[in-house]
Amino acid sequence: MVSVTVKNLTKTYEGGNTIAVRDLNLVINDGEFFTLLGPSGCGKTTTLYSIAGLLEPDEGEIVIGDKVVTSKADKIRVYPQDRELAMVFQDYALYPHMKVRKILAFPLENIGVDKHEIEERVEETAELLDISNLLDRKPGQLSGGQRQRVALGRAIIRNPKVFLFDEPLSNLDAKLRIRMRFELKELQQKLGITTIYVTHDQTEAMSMSDRIMLMKDGRVAQVGTSDDMFHRPKNIFVASFIGTPPMNLVDCTVVRKNGKLWFDATEFEMPVPPRMIPDIEKCVNKAVVMGFRPQNVSETSGESEYGIRVTVRVVESMGTSYLLHVNDGSHSLIAEVIETKAKPGEGKTIKIDPDKMHIFDKESGDAIVNAIAI
Amino acid sequence: MNWKRVFGRIVLYGGLLFFAFVYLLPLWSAITTSLKTPAEVAKTSALAFPTHPTLAPFIESFDSLKGPLVISLIITAGGVAGSVLLGSMCGYVFSKIRFKYDTFVFLLLAAGAFIPYQSILVPLFTTISKLHLFGTIPGLILTHTAYGIPMCAILFRNFYGAIPESIINQAMVDGAGPWRIYRKIVLPSTVLATVVVVTFQFTSIWNEYLFGLLLGGGEGQAMPATVALANLKGSLTAAWEVQMAGAIWAALPVLIIYIIMGRYLIRGYMTGAVKG
Repeated sequence: MVSVTVKNLTKTYEGGNTIAVRDLNLVINDGEFFTLLGPSGCGKTTTLYSIAGLLEPDEGEIVIGDKVVTSKADKIRVYPQDRELAMVFQDYALYPHMKVRKILAFPLENIGVDKHEIEERVEETAELLDISNLLDRKPGQLSGGQRQRVALGRAIIRNPKVFLFDEPLSNLDAKLRIRMRFELKELQQKLGITTIYVTHDQTEAMSMSDRIMLMKDGRVAQVGTSDDMFHRPKNIFVASFIGTPPMNLVDCTVVRKNGKLWFDATEFEMPVPPRMIPDIEKCVNKAVVMGFRPQNVSETSGESEYGIRVTVRVVESMGTSYLLHVNDGSHSLIAEVIETKAKPGEGKTIKIDPDKMHIFDKESGDAIVNAIAI
Repeated sequence: MNWKRVFGRIVLYGGLLFFAFVYLLPLWSAITTSLKTPAEVAKTSALAFPTHPTLAPFIESFDSLKGPLVISLIITAGGVAGSVLLGSMCGYVFSKIRFKYDTFVFLLLAAGAFIPYQSILVPLFTTISKLHLFGTIPGLILTHTAYGIPMCAILFRNFYGAIPESIINQAMVDGAGPWRIYRKIVLPSTVLATVVVVTFQFTSIWNEYLFGLLLGGGEGQAMPATVALANLKGSLTAAWEVQMAGAIWAALPVLIIYIIMGRYLIRGYMTGAVKG
């Protein structure tokens, strides 16, 4: 059982002037594929490096399995080489002067595995990753995908307690990235090793992870499954970060007219869906943000309570769907539809699915009501 | 045809040829003089071709220089080994390991490279004498090692700075400690850098005169070739042909090193240059 626990982790740079991570708490379960996601500078890499022992945090405690590896309070600092982790870096960090065979053997040599066993395990690992024919090459003679595999091989060869990945796919071209994503996930499922994965790419995070932690400015924005993040974002930041194309966000005021509650977005008005009334009741005359995903918008010919009159600006054909970039006069919105005959400049009515609407508090950014999830 | 360009080229190459000529004159006169008899040296210009070439000056000078040449070789080998090895370790520590006041400590160390030899002669002499190393080969090896470390550390720190941080981090996560990272990753991946520093140190220790004169102890002790060469000039007459032949003997090892290492040297300088 190898879980990873991070307690009250704080790390600052430049003598405390820049706070990279603030009071972070986190539990990663045994065998879980856990992703640290966020824009650059959000503290995800700092968190990963602290777990690896490559950075010493200012405060906090890190426990891997049942061993405390970092504790500022108890002055414990286990060096990276003694943490029994494996890591894959963004640039793969393959030792340029070594042949692949030697690179794979290096972690085993360091812990004193005997020669014969090393040879066996190198062959085994090479076979698993389909790199047996590359064993006598140096990194300079390998393609991006091959380097990636060698780096993966080096990570799995010593049966580490935990895998750490620092944006391992970001140097690959788009096609290869999708394949490696699948291979990486499959490998992790097969080996069942607890994995911590850092990326800024939400598609990567969503497609691979059991759970995701989205970070912003050194703090946790939300922890949850891909579905949680997508269907139940806790705040505007999560809502806008997760999902492609991003969620449409429209500033509104809640108003009461003729005894009914309405969202007033200047350009249009929309009744508050009945399921939301108990929560929105408290927000009368307050500024809120209405959020709805492009996938939950459809074209409509008739009138609808949840319809918005818009002008089509650009139609993007994505193959499996079309993206309509539209404008209602003051808001730029995106609709993703399966079929359309819309032309730029044309007037249209788009309809929002009221079940899929999210409402956020404008001031705090926190979600007031989320969409109904499937 | 662009005449302006052609004219520019003629001026440029003309200038380069002129400077090459000026630079090669001393070497030319050393070679011609070393092949002449004493009588011909006295009568002809230093640049004139020898009419009856003879190898006698080479044989005579080698006779007096062979001992000091061996001593120089031992001192240089020891000094290069010591300063390059320790300098490289310092360079590794200062480029890849962070500790409190590391920059300050490095500046102190680097300052050692810029202290003029002359200013430390007295304390150096006292120290070496107290260690009972005066007039011995180990004394000179120790001096060259100590004096070479700062420069080697500066050079190596620059070269090692070009090794990506992720390589070092990776090696740590792979289970290697600092010493193993140095031996297995840093050293073998920077062979060119080592070639550059070795050549640099070899040249400066081989050509060094002042320490050899001060600490070598003269004839029969640890007198290096550079000092012996100066003694060749004779007390009454200047035997130019013997001196010139001796100078060529003394320059030979450095020349050989440059010929062997030349190819690596240029590549090594380039890696340093590209990193900036």
